[in-house]
Amino acid sequence: MFRKVLIANRGEIALRIHRACRELGISTVAVYSDADRAGLHVLEADEAWRLGPAPASESYLLGDLILETARRAGADAIHPGYGFLSENADFAQSCEQAGIKFIGPPSSAMRILGSKTNARQAADQAGMPRTPGCVHGLASPQEAYDVAAAVGYPVMLKAAAGGGGKGMRAVFTEEELPAAFVAASSEAERAFGSGEVYLEKLIERPRHIEIQIIADEHGHCVSLGERECSVQRRHQKVIEEAPSAVVSEDLRERMGQAAVRLAKSAGYTNAGTIEFLLDDDQNFYFLEMNTRLQVEHPVTELVTGYDLVHLQIRIAQGEPLPFAQKDVRLRGHAIECRVYAEDPANGFMPSPGRITRLLQPGGPGIREDCGIYEGWVVPMDYDPMLSKLIAFAPSREMAIARMLRALDEYVIGGIRTNLDLFRRILRDSDFRAARIDTGYLDRLIALDSRPVSDPPAAPGDAADAIVPAIAAAAFFEATKATNGTHASAAAAARAWKAIARRESVGASK
Amino acid sequence: MTLELEINGRKCQVEIQPPENAGAWTVLIDGKPVEADAHLIRPGVLSLLIGGKSHRVVLDPGHSDPALHLQAQRIPYRVEDLRSLRSRRRHARADGPATLKASMPGRVVRLLVEEGDAVALHQGILVIEAMKMQNELKSPKEGRIAEIRVSPGDTVAAGDILAVIE
Repeated sequence: MFRKVLIANRGEIALRIHRACRELGISTVAVYSDADRAGLHVLEADEAWRLGPAPASESYLLGDLILETARRAGADAIHPGYGFLSENADFAQSCEQAGIKFIGPPSSAMRILGSKTNARQAADQAGMPRTPGCVHGLASPQEAYDVAAAVGYPVMLKAAAGGGGKGMRAVFTEEELPAAFVAASSEAERAFGSGEVYLEKLIERPRHIEIQIIADEHGHCVSLGERECSVQRRHQKVIEEAPSAVVSEDLRERMGQAAVRLAKSAGYTNAGTIEFLLDDDQNFYFLEMNTRLQVEHPVTELVTGYDLVHLQIRIAQGEPLPFAQKDVRLRGHAIECRVYAEDPANGFMPSPGRITRLLQPGGPGIREDCGIYEGWVVPMDYDPMLSKLIAFAPSREMAIARMLRALDEYVIGGIRTNLDLFRRILRDSDFRAARIDTGYLDRLIALDSRPVSDPPAAPGDAADAIVPAIAAAAFFEATKATNGTHASAAAAARAWKAIARRESVGASK
Repeated sequence: MTLELEINGRKCQVEIQPPENAGAWTVLIDGKPVEADAHLIRPGVLSLLIGGKSHRVVLDPGHSDPALHLQAQRIPYRVEDLRSLRSRRRHARADGPATLKASMPGRVVRLLVEEGDAVALHQGILVIEAMKMQNELKSPKEGRIAEIRVSPGDTVAAGDILAVIE
């Protein structure tokens, strides 16, 4: 049994893992960068240790320092969360050598399945359908020509070490290939330190369907059904749901079996996700494997009733899976919205900064996995995800209604967020009819940003202004009243702040 | 007290009479009286009852542009107390030097031009990065780079002046 777990992450996922540890009676060690000193994960953990300055390369990506911190704190295990070191086989191996359990798969399985080209070879050996194309990195543009000619255009160039849409290029004609090859390769080199790219046939208008698997260290591996993540912007997931509206019982079983075969063939343990593309004729093609907990794991937790982080920890402690494949039943429908600090009205520009107002939704069937609070300054140094809002209901239709209700309750002030975009999607007739594919959202956004030839509609009549006008006046009065009656208190606060600054006590800016 | 408000680009005048009972306001909007029961339930969150209808209005003070959140809408507004100050409104001269301002907080990654360079309209001036996203800032006008106020590695806030183009 673990007594203490170090959580090598930040934000909502660090808090999510902390909560699971608490529930299992395990104490937690948080790590943080200077930008996260006031983060929720530091506040809640039993212990917290500083790593370094804000940039991830000087803090959350320092494997040796994190391992040393775990040793110093006396942690038995490290949970890497997602991102950062979670798919770094070298780090997992260092943990193994140091005798500190890495809560995830063995480094050997990560090496096979973490590289996309290696994983494609493993898929072939496991008899799993994959997109036509090569299973090795391309040595030259000439080889790219040959493979593309063999599978037929359009094709997709992808980074072998890739993820998050980086190092990817769709190529529609032979003429575009050389430039795309250079662009994908150099982008991959910059993002992942490896310029290796491979090529596969582009499946047009595919759905993104992924299978969650969980495997113990005693040879048991089960599938926990699918998630549909077709709503993406530039290859980044925006909304995920479980189950998919188009996956039948039979298809689910076939995809699940293929996923389990692949995981077993690589000696995989712990939680993992096998991503597939699904075409219009319900053919599925292996895309890649994510050898870690996924951002969107909550939708699977809600429809299966299993706590994936609990399972990860128990499996890492050597326990056998407490259920078998036949016990897995899906119930209801869950939808997750990834709330980002970005401004959809302004080209999705990042919007870090102080959260001046926060009203969070609640009530039946709403779960929020969140790493923010009112007053928190969202750092500019990490990815813009603020929180994950998840709605669970008996049917897809009711889950959508519930999510819309929760979105109306949700207010995040001080920075811009994509909350409005979710309202737009969830009210869209194509989304409601589950007519979605991985290009759906980009088309919807392009449609909305099309220049309108008519002049903008005249601002509403006087009646529309009544509520905001009274509210604005009331807030103005309230501010004046506060400033008046509490003038001395405000002066005292200013004086205190000045002292704090002089003595460098107030670390937050 | 009379306020001039600009809500979503529309101007109106609001005259407020001091509440006789706590929360019960009579407000004249463009001269038309409206009775409202306003209750600040916590700082920045207002419960407003008008003719039996309940409204939740949340104040988002913002950095430069205050806004109200009302029924899933974000409504920018400006308020001016007509009694205490008489209009300011400075108009930027269209033909004078233009400034390049940071559209988001971030870190300067690289400069694409040097001081003294001639630049075309919409030509890239520098690249800033935040939240793993790089963003190229473009020249607001054709002209010459008179001044660059930042260097690679600098941290900038939204609205900071990064360069001056004449």
